[in-house]
Amino acid sequence: MKNKVLLSILLFTFISCSESFDIDVSFGESQSINPGIDDAFASTYKPMNSEPILFKSANIYDGLGGELKDYDLLLSDGKIIEIGKSLTAAEALIIDATNKWLTPGIIDIHSHMGVYSAPGVSTSSDGNEATSPVTAEVWAEHSLWTQDPQFALALKGGVTAFHVLPGSANLFGGRGATFKNISQNTIQAMKFPGAPHSLKMACGENPKRVYGSRGQSPATRMGNMAGYRSTWIDAVEYTDGMNAENSDSRPTRDLAMDTLMGVLNGEILIQNHCYRAEEMALMIEMSREFNYKITAFHHAVEAYKIADLLADEGICAALWADWWGFKHEAYDMVQANVAIIDQARNGTGCAIVHSDDEVGIQHLNQEAAKAMAAGNRAGYEISKAHAMRWITSNPAKAAGILDQTGSIEIGKDADVVLWSGDPFSVYSRAEKVLIDGAVAFDIDNPKIQPITDFDLGIIQPQTNRVK
Amino acid sequence: MKRFLITLFLLLTFHVSAETILLKAGLVHSGNGEVGKIQDILISDNVIVGVGNNLIIDGNTRVIEVNGLPVTPGLISPMSNLGIVEINALDVTKDDESDLLSAGFSIFNAFNPHSTLIPWNRSNGVTSAISTPSGSSFPVFGLGSHFILDGSLDIKGSKDIAMFGRLGASYGSRAESLAILESLLEIGRMLNSLAVEEILEMSLSDQLELQSQDIIALGKVVNDGMPFVLETNRAVDILQALAMKKKFDLNLVLVSVEEAPMVLDKLKESNTPVIIDPMDNIPNSFDELGSSLSLGKILDQAGIPIMFSTQRSHNYHLMRQGSGNAVAHGMTYETAIKGMTKTVAETFQLDNRGSIEAGKLADVIVWDGDPLEPASFPKIVMIEGKLQDLTSRSSKLTERYTNKEDKPSSYKH
Repeated sequence: MKNKVLLSILLFTFISCSESFDIDVSFGESQSINPGIDDAFASTYKPMNSEPILFKSANIYDGLGGELKDYDLLLSDGKIIEIGKSLTAAEALIIDATNKWLTPGIIDIHSHMGVYSAPGVSTSSDGNEATSPVTAEVWAEHSLWTQDPQFALALKGGVTAFHVLPGSANLFGGRGATFKNISQNTIQAMKFPGAPHSLKMACGENPKRVYGSRGQSPATRMGNMAGYRSTWIDAVEYTDGMNAENSDSRPTRDLAMDTLMGVLNGEILIQNHCYRAEEMALMIEMSREFNYKITAFHHAVEAYKIADLLADEGICAALWADWWGFKHEAYDMVQANVAIIDQARNGTGCAIVHSDDEVGIQHLNQEAAKAMAAGNRAGYEISKAHAMRWITSNPAKAAGILDQTGSIEIGKDADVVLWSGDPFSVYSRAEKVLIDGAVAFDIDNPKIQPITDFDLGIIQPQTNRVK
Repeated sequence: MKRFLITLFLLLTFHVSAETILLKAGLVHSGNGEVGKIQDILISDNVIVGVGNNLIIDGNTRVIEVNGLPVTPGLISPMSNLGIVEINALDVTKDDESDLLSAGFSIFNAFNPHSTLIPWNRSNGVTSAISTPSGSSFPVFGLGSHFILDGSLDIKGSKDIAMFGRLGASYGSRAESLAILESLLEIGRMLNSLAVEEILEMSLSDQLELQSQDIIALGKVVNDGMPFVLETNRAVDILQALAMKKKFDLNLVLVSVEEAPMVLDKLKESNTPVIIDPMDNIPNSFDELGSSLSLGKILDQAGIPIMFSTQRSHNYHLMRQGSGNAVAHGMTYETAIKGMTKTVAETFQLDNRGSIEAGKLADVIVWDGDPLEPASFPKIVMIEGKLQDLTSRSSKLTERYTNKEDKPSSYKH
């Protein structure tokens, strides 16, 4: 079908990098020393109205490795209130979940929804500011199209939160941001409250191809490294300057440098597109040189070759179950990649199944099923309860939102999915998807199935695109 | 070391010449659209000689206990780049496009049986595939061939069995694309009364930059019933394609057809098979606004023959996951299995394979679980009666990097 189009998108978006910047410029005089935590473009998200809900007799994967059979789950005021047997709640809506499964809401740590919206036309190609290898000043959220029909499709697949990254054309591609999967008509109203920004960086073929083909640096992998390092040197100097006691001696605000300073200050998380083992090891070495932390390597087709190193460094690997071969650096695919990362150093590795794809994001449960089965064929003993972490708590951790969501625990946001059967089966459907305790998708109720402005009356005025 | 010995053992046992084998008590999904049932399959030399419950065997027959595991025909990919594309982003590893030819561009001689994609797809249950040229802006881009994926340099397959093209949004007007398509088919029809050389001299041939190979291929589509496989999505484009089928009496196969539900009656009436990706519900273009996960169910209920493509290059076996999702959304299980096997064989006239029945070539898979579950994997892959080794470059990498010996990985082999 549109293999070619898809491929070109893949090749381009797999280049990532990010950068960002910050603040409200009109208040330049009171400028923040820590722009990463200022509140420019802050979330205005408000949960939908909800009533208390009591799921009865559900099977539960809690997203942390636990499995509960025939348990009740009580949600109220947008939070998970109680997990137990024979719960009662006078005011609550009772939902019989016998023989069904509850899981945390699925989280995708690598999405381009909204910045590469559907239809994938040139005017919606807003994910790569491929004009300079260092564009740490751009924010993916500023490209987000709130009416992207892909959000609602992902919701039907159980996705309650997703992290949107710039593409991978640049060494530093810009800031990424996390969203609650409720379509709203402003970007801020979708932003996940309190979620940190990320900075997308990209290794390998993409930056060197994009800029090398224009006769500029980087044209090689060593050029990539020089590009990162010289930028970090500037960022360290800028950060030191911003920390000066005397405000008059501080440098002029610079959006790109603000983002890099946010990384050096530990407020902005590095999400690093990187395929090859030796390049990931170089990126780790560079993070030591400039004293920052890499949160996750993305795509990382060769992560399994350095699984122990990643576990030792506490770096997550966000991976596909089986994509390969579209580029040379994606040639050494093993289906056990996720499992090998997970099991490294006595099971202390942090494995994530990500999508980077508008179809894949709808079926992350199936992608995790493939990765789990491949791991078990390779000799591991990975349970479904354990594998559920790969698409819930681990991506939540990498997005910096694990204290709020990503598991079924008392006090967490009531982001949960009710599955018609085993969540790892191709035949199971997400029947109800709840975000902050409100039913955001109900398979049996067309009124609780979001339809974006784009979908309204677009084929025939009387009907909507999604039925 | 143990793993190594096991691999060696498999190599030794699996590369013996064909023999008489009984696959005993498998849950046989024949590919004919029947509900699976527990049966034995008797294979002699390269052919299935019996399917049933009380087959008579002699003392030389090797009996393999299947113990109720699912058995299907070997999967047939109806549209792949197997053997002609190694790495998409590296042009020097691709043989799927021609600057000179269009309708008559054959990829057959470019097929590389040593491509790493072949053991990978084979170990995942794909035993043969139609490889096709890739699209250009011209509405017809060449001829696909069918290949047996046994990796042999003695290439087995059927050359130039179908022509591939596309109709829909592009940089020019689709009205122009339609006019070009119609002209091409007219040229094919002219072969009834004119010689290739005469057609070649016409100004139309010159305008369309046709070579003699293109004209000959178009003649096969128009006059000899060679399948014409056209990708199109918009409802009105599907109708245009069906009108063309009628006018030229084409053996038409449609691909993608995301808006087919809007023209279902006409599609059904035309008796046109389709190749779909059941997981593609994204309105990727303004041609595909009607895309949905219900496509498979709707086409199935209309009785339209369905086959499956995959969105992801390199993993053609993922048509299992695609068809599994189609079943989750209402397609029957039997249609899904048939769509990966018998329907492909019927559509492309691969008469001797695609189902588990006496007389067919023994392309057979024994699965470790439901073949429509993405987590399932083949336990046995048989091509023309020969048990295949399931090793791939990927399995060797897995072995190397799960080996905990303290030495450089380059010495773990």
